[in-house]
Amino acid sequence: MNRLLQNVSLAALLATGVMGFASLSFANDKLDQLSQSDENWVMPGKDYHSDNFSKLTQINADNVKELKPAWSFSTGVLNGHEGAPLVIDGTMYVHTSFPNITYALALDNPTRILWQDKPKQNPAARSVACCDLVNRGLAYWPGDSKTPPLILKTLLDGHIEALNAKTGELVWKMENSDIKVGSTLTIAPYVVKDIVLVGSSGAELGVRGYVTAYDVHDGEQKWRAYATGPDKDLLLAPDFNIHNPQYGRFGLGTETWEGDAWKIGGGTNWGWYAYDPKINLIYFGTGNPSPWNETMRPGDNKWTMTIFGRDVDTGLAKFGYQKTPHDEWDYAGVNVMMLSEQKDKNGQLRSLLTHPDRNGIIYTLDRTNGDLVSADKIDDTVNEFKSVDMKTGQPIRDPEYGTRMDHLAKDICPSAMGYHNQGHDSYDPDKQLFFMGVNHICMDWEPFMLPYRAGQFFVGATLNMYPGPKGDRQNAEGLGQIKAYNAITGKFKWDKMERFAVWGGTLATAGNVVFYGTLDGFIKARNADTGDLLWKFKLPSGAIGYPITYTRKGVQYIAIYYGVGGWPAVGLVFDLQDPTAGLGAVGAFKQLANYTQQGGGVMVFSLNGKGPYDDVNVGEYQSAN
Amino acid sequence: MSGGTILGDPWPRFINPAEFGGYLMSRSARSVFATAFAVASPRVLFLSGVGALACAFAAGAAPQADPSPAQTGASTASKELRICASAKQLPYSAKDGSGFENKIGAIVAKAMGREPVFVFADKPAIYLVRDWLDKNKCDVIIGLDAGDARVLTTKPYYRAAYVFVTQKDRGLAIQSWNDPKLKQLGHIVVDLGSPSETMLKQIGAYESDMAYLYSLVGFKAPRNEYVQISPERMIGEIKTGGADLAAAFAPDVARYVKGDSSLSMIPVRDDAKGASGEKLPQQYDQAMGVRIGDAQLLSELDEALVRANAQIKAVLKDEGIPLVDASK
Repeated sequence: MNRLLQNVSLAALLATGVMGFASLSFANDKLDQLSQSDENWVMPGKDYHSDNFSKLTQINADNVKELKPAWSFSTGVLNGHEGAPLVIDGTMYVHTSFPNITYALALDNPTRILWQDKPKQNPAARSVACCDLVNRGLAYWPGDSKTPPLILKTLLDGHIEALNAKTGELVWKMENSDIKVGSTLTIAPYVVKDIVLVGSSGAELGVRGYVTAYDVHDGEQKWRAYATGPDKDLLLAPDFNIHNPQYGRFGLGTETWEGDAWKIGGGTNWGWYAYDPKINLIYFGTGNPSPWNETMRPGDNKWTMTIFGRDVDTGLAKFGYQKTPHDEWDYAGVNVMMLSEQKDKNGQLRSLLTHPDRNGIIYTLDRTNGDLVSADKIDDTVNEFKSVDMKTGQPIRDPEYGTRMDHLAKDICPSAMGYHNQGHDSYDPDKQLFFMGVNHICMDWEPFMLPYRAGQFFVGATLNMYPGPKGDRQNAEGLGQIKAYNAITGKFKWDKMERFAVWGGTLATAGNVVFYGTLDGFIKARNADTGDLLWKFKLPSGAIGYPITYTRKGVQYIAIYYGVGGWPAVGLVFDLQDPTAGLGAVGAFKQLANYTQQGGGVMVFSLNGKGPYDDVNVGEYQSAN
Repeated sequence: MSGGTILGDPWPRFINPAEFGGYLMSRSARSVFATAFAVASPRVLFLSGVGALACAFAAGAAPQADPSPAQTGASTASKELRICASAKQLPYSAKDGSGFENKIGAIVAKAMGREPVFVFADKPAIYLVRDWLDKNKCDVIIGLDAGDARVLTTKPYYRAAYVFVTQKDRGLAIQSWNDPKLKQLGHIVVDLGSPSETMLKQIGAYESDMAYLYSLVGFKAPRNEYVQISPERMIGEIKTGGADLAAAFAPDVARYVKGDSSLSMIPVRDDAKGASGEKLPQQYDQAMGVRIGDAQLLSELDEALVRANAQIKAVLKDEGIPLVDASK
């Protein structure tokens, strides 16, 4: 698992000017500092609060309708483009789904690509990946006296690579996941201090999930924490869940499984991280248990479906809260973690994390100790849980909407896609509102058993997915929503229906605007207070990533990937006709191909399209004469 | 284990296979299914008791008989026999008729004085009862377990067993799932959803084998679509050393083993037991099946099977399938 390929050239180090770097500040707070600048977008989520919020006001609710394209770039890859680009110090870093190309573009003159990296990969990765060939993004590390600034990326075939951010040269490469056991990588890496974190994928194939911390200088593994198994593999702090012993404490990574089932238990994490520098904890969620058929794994299946708070230096878990014990629905718990500081119902200022889960519940926890602060339905049509018991943290299940092998279940809301998927949402700390891109999709779950011969059987389940009750089931539209949510009152300030699932997430700005992309190919802007639609632009292809914003030379820009794909688009991308294929996604999104087709690239907008080519001579070929 | 999180739904419990057999004899397949999953433990999800609980079957050797149809008796309703067959289930069946069940089907049709008409399904044979036979697209399935409650089955026309296949020069000589040598082997290749997979779990080898098994089906996790390791691939894995042992149903792999002197094929002793001591049969009677209610066709098939017995046995022998005596 730890094959080291190191390729550091002294010339490269000199070229980047690192040797002449006067500052002695540690890289550990440098990234945090860089993230505060409105000129940059240095990490997924904007900064360690992971809240996709920008203080910029140049673009605002009054003038956003003046937004026009400033420039654009096609990546040459057609599979879905999730996540967002990074912008650091005048350079935009663009990533793609498999083959995981990276492009560096100069904001002032995107004419010529600064560098591009097309990694050689094991082609077997394509066939192993479960749900299109997506990748959720890049990470950046600012460099120090030893090592130049790095762009870090994951490859579908299970490797993590560190590239010289200035030149694109490979600095080091590690194998994180073994493609030979069906384990791929789609996650965006996450840099904290001199550590880069990488998750795992492949739960449906029994890959036992883990998160790994690598030394950013050379890729040496610092720690690895598993989601299932004995305590020594889980990396639990001695005071794990001491504040909430009712969540469970020790020994449960094996005791909540039958026999050795935890060895193939899943619980991979391929979503998003957040970090609190004051208490040194990282936050993320683990995914679904394996196999999908719940009768094969009696028990609570800890610690799949769990929100973890772990010390970033040691990996030790301070708390773990399992949202969906003994999952029946495939509600992988890896979604976005957004940090905020808000006064709770008693007027006490709390350090919070908020996490909209696949299971349809938005969880807000005290991020210092794991206390459950609120657990509200993301839509009142959620039915597999009646509620969450705030004392025990246990969901109260409604057996009518469970998926057991002896029960034909209809109208389960959410469907296996969840009422919220991998989209990265945003939070406005002044309004104290979370802006959430939501799925409004329900499902029928029909178990079947086909005997064969010689005592052989096939046990399976057919899923049919369709719009929830607020959508248009007849015409397969009304599959999404966008909502503004207050985690303290539990109320929604506004909510709007969308034609398709709002899959990619949202961006919120202090200009009172919420931006997001849609599957049918729009980037939209809504008034953050009211939800009124203010502006939209038809992109070359549907959007499954989230928008970012930054300034360059005093001009504010909005950038977003286009390129439809991901789970919603498996029917479109792979030309599938059977509505139950893609676990029902083909049927749910059968209208999608009537609105958009594949594409891939980034579009950048500004007021009146102001941009690098306002001076038409920029990027012109200069002849020698 | 916390059972309290699932309200009013006790964990599935194991039951005595004899109880279970009673359910299997019932006519309603749907109620069988519902009952099976209400009571079957996860470990016996594969209902491996089916073969052992087969309804009465004839002894292995049938009298020699003239394969041509009886001259006396009722006229047949149709001059054709519509045979449900998978287009992609070698070695049993293929569109070019090269499967051994294709041959048996043609023999039996002729013995009935009918023209065989193959209705080929572009799906694996596991779908034939639900999606072809019961939808009236065809009238007979050539091979399934005697006593399969979803259909009317003829008297069995042969009995076959699971076999262990290994490289001969390994000298493994393993004859039973109880052999401790099994736990020392590298990969063991089995059919997904088979009694062999259950035994793999029993001997504690499943978790380290699972990723390997999935690699043989391109990492497609079967959920709404049937996914299975091909018999040819199984034997290929033994030959290349990808696996040390294959536990397969003999008719599946016979033709890929036949004539290969590097391979050893040993019938598995019928002493395999599941987690609660329940018997997991390693031998199964094979019969033909028709729709429930199609008693007329059933009796014609039974007569034809007797007449054609020698020819059928010749096909099975040619295939290389070691037959098992009913009395064992």
